[in-house]
Amino acid sequence: MALSFRAVARKTWQTAASIKTGVVLLILVVILAAVGTVILQRPMTEADDMQRAYSPQALRLLDGMGLTDVFHAWWFIGLMLLVSCSIIAASIDRFPNAWRYYARPYKYPDSAFRRALHPQKSVAIQDEETGLVAAERALHCLRLKPERVVREDHFGIFAERHRISEMAVYIVHASLLLIFFGWIIDGVYGWRGTLNLNEGQTSNVVDLRDGTTRSLPFAIRCDSAGQENYKDGSPKKWWSKLAVVESARDVETKEIVVNDPLVYQGVRFYQSSYGPNGKVDKLLVAATQNPAFSAGSKASPATSGGTREFGLTVGESVDLDADTSVRFAEFIADYAVRDGQVYKRSNDMGNPAAHLIVTSKASGKSFDVWFPALDEVADNSKSPYLLEPKDLKMGHFTGLQVSHEPGQWGVWAGVVLLGVGLAFVFYVIHVRFWAVPVRDERTGQLSLWIGGSANRNRDAFEQKFNELIAAVEKEVNPSSMDAPSEHIATVATR
Amino acid sequence: MAQVKTEQQQPAATGTTLIVLVGLGVAFLLFMAFLNVVKTGNLLNESNLLFAALIFYSGAGALYLGFGVTGTESYVKFASLATWVGLIANTGAVAHRWYEAGHAPFASVYEMLLSFVWTLAVLTLIAEKKYKVKVIGTVTMPVAIVGVVLMQLLRTEVHPLVPALQSTWLHVHVTLAMLAYAACALSFALAMMFLIQDHMKTETFLAATSASALGIYASIVLTRFEKWGGLSLVGWNVEAKQEMFLSRGVRLFVVIPELGWLLLLTTLVVATPLALYGLARWKKNDGFLANANRAVFVSILLQIMTLVMFLLRARDGAYPSLDADGLFTTSLAASPFILSGLVGSIFISLLYLLLVWRRPDLERLLPDATSLDRITYKTICIAFPLLTLMIAAGAYWANQTWGSYWNWDPKETWAAITWLVYAAYLHMRVTRGMRGRTAAYFAVGGFAVVMFTFFGVTYLLPGLHAYA
Repeated sequence: MALSFRAVARKTWQTAASIKTGVVLLILVVILAAVGTVILQRPMTEADDMQRAYSPQALRLLDGMGLTDVFHAWWFIGLMLLVSCSIIAASIDRFPNAWRYYARPYKYPDSAFRRALHPQKSVAIQDEETGLVAAERALHCLRLKPERVVREDHFGIFAERHRISEMAVYIVHASLLLIFFGWIIDGVYGWRGTLNLNEGQTSNVVDLRDGTTRSLPFAIRCDSAGQENYKDGSPKKWWSKLAVVESARDVETKEIVVNDPLVYQGVRFYQSSYGPNGKVDKLLVAATQNPAFSAGSKASPATSGGTREFGLTVGESVDLDADTSVRFAEFIADYAVRDGQVYKRSNDMGNPAAHLIVTSKASGKSFDVWFPALDEVADNSKSPYLLEPKDLKMGHFTGLQVSHEPGQWGVWAGVVLLGVGLAFVFYVIHVRFWAVPVRDERTGQLSLWIGGSANRNRDAFEQKFNELIAAVEKEVNPSSMDAPSEHIATVATR
Repeated sequence: MAQVKTEQQQPAATGTTLIVLVGLGVAFLLFMAFLNVVKTGNLLNESNLLFAALIFYSGAGALYLGFGVTGTESYVKFASLATWVGLIANTGAVAHRWYEAGHAPFASVYEMLLSFVWTLAVLTLIAEKKYKVKVIGTVTMPVAIVGVVLMQLLRTEVHPLVPALQSTWLHVHVTLAMLAYAACALSFALAMMFLIQDHMKTETFLAATSASALGIYASIVLTRFEKWGGLSLVGWNVEAKQEMFLSRGVRLFVVIPELGWLLLLTTLVVATPLALYGLARWKKNDGFLANANRAVFVSILLQIMTLVMFLLRARDGAYPSLDADGLFTTSLAASPFILSGLVGSIFISLLYLLLVWRRPDLERLLPDATSLDRITYKTICIAFPLLTLMIAAGAYWANQTWGSYWNWDPKETWAAITWLVYAAYLHMRVTRGMRGRTAAYFAVGGFAVVMFTFFGVTYLLPGLHAYA
């Protein structure tokens, strides 16, 4: 029983670690991801658009199968986990071999290896020492450091470069796992939302994507925001001056623009939009004493006839004289009048109306002043002061994207590591050379067997190998190639 | 240029005739252009440089085609000289654009094409000098010419960048994307050459070419065919030089009457070679294949007619719309993807004809199968890291702008799919020893995914969503 369990476990492991499993899983990921781009996806597409695009039955079916939010469905994330497992299993399965290869380089080729290796070449030599020295010199010329390998009954030369290249694929796999890891951390602990602030407003409540809100342990205040335009009127730049407020103290301020966020305690605030918020920043009003009113009232001040200008925000009161005050009661962005009542039709700034109330303390009377002067409800001409609107300054809001992605450092570290790993995989090549003196058993001819191997880019390597052979032949047999005399001299002194 | 083209029909001409004719054609066109420039008095501006590039690329294209057809070696020398001059003019145009706009020229379809053509010319010269694949110009130069002609039709003025696009990372991202896609295109061309050298049957190429042409026409007809045989195109506001919108994000489509029928007919004719191929395979009767080749020829003629009709009718003119009253204008600039689809389909059909007529010559000219296989792999080894960096730069940019490094939008997802396909290719090659045919099919499939990411996602997926 135990044996069969072990057999099953071994089989499972082999399946998990096989390249076939990996490829099948990747194909599945590809298919599901492609499906996710063809079917409209929930968080990005508004619910109305979804209903317009699909019939109710189809939508119910798609929702039921999770196909309207493929990339956040449990089975997609499960699949990604399986891919991660497959990468891990494949890496672990192949690692011992690769590590042996890396930690204990194969320095002396046995006869079986010598028969199979390509490229290889034998060069006839006079004696073993001359041949080995020649090989060493030639390898030095290729900027390699040859080492003598001496065993009990045989010896040779071994040289290599960039052995680390054999491990590069593990760097790539590790970096992919790091990216997945960061992404999963973000999926579990991260959140995203929006925060719209009016100029001067402070808030710590972020509207999350799923419709809930989240309170931050600190607040953000928008001191000012603005937009710069190109000459043709299209927006060039949006900016906001933000301050981080923690326990009633400004701890950090920054002017953010698109592409340059504010980061505080791992929470990032991005500029994403800017526009009028439909609220009044200031209403400029000019007040003149009403001649009709003052004629019939004893409460009129001595200093009459002057015009005063002042600004009002919604809810603010200003004293016009000792007795009379005016209050900015309400602002309606888009009004409609019905049955002597003013209603708000929508929030779009298209048809605005302002309601001011002028009150006299002595008489206790109040007058409704409307801009524009709505016939049914306004007492504009009856008011003790004639009010005239001069300017309406609308407030602006700045739209901030807020995100907390604690895993993104894993992602970026993974990306950097991936770049390094791929550079190693593709451009750093493990090159090995062996040189062994061999005596032919039949003829008794002594020759130097030279072999080489590269783990990538083999045709370029073969060229290099041929250069090496030419160099060795020149060293061994200088006279045949009208070599300069110092070569003979150096060989002779040894 | 017409002179040169007619001369093309007689490849029997001696080695120097074509060179002299092309030289004369180039000189003539340059002279005419110069007269025009003297009149306006503005020499080194972008459109002049681009026109010069067009003239020289056309000369190079004619010579490369001559080489492809006759195999006369001396053509190549002059062809690459013309490419060099064209490239210098093209570089000037890119630099001028960059200077004018103040940002790298990747912001609009026009600017992308400008950079793409430049990259293509550079890669052609590299492939020719470094890897001795001389025939590559036969394929790439016509593409470059089509690119420059398309640019003449599209809007050229510098458009300001919206805030989200003002980032160095975007430029890094797009540059990498262009390089990566160009490398993928090269690997595709090399894989096709490998398949020719690997003695893949000509009729298999027939099936592949007519299937892709059919794919192009079918996707146009399926998304754009309107009731009563009209063809709907995006409306184009001539004054504002931009697409017309009904409301925010909803484009206004105009319907050109009768053009839909013509496209439908062409679709059927384009499908005929494929049907005949299927019949030949089914009945095991090769007699159908000769007819299929004839059908390809007919389909090319009809395709050219369709293109001409499309150019004539979509260029100007006001047409009714299904969604709004009145007549609205459209322009070729509003439908760059349909236009490139039509031109591309003609181009691949012509390439097939070249293969049918000149296969022995091509086999003589191309490097042997093994080295083509190896170069394909090498090109993908270059493309893959570029793809990786492209995605990483894009993610970094998205993180700075939208607050998230990965949003699963269709373009992103398809870029990831492309990456996975090439990753699978490399894994199969390195650990499974995948070589030859399978590897070539993989490279071709990879490029198909690239094309879908580049065109399909922008054109088909939103189209699908708009009509669903």
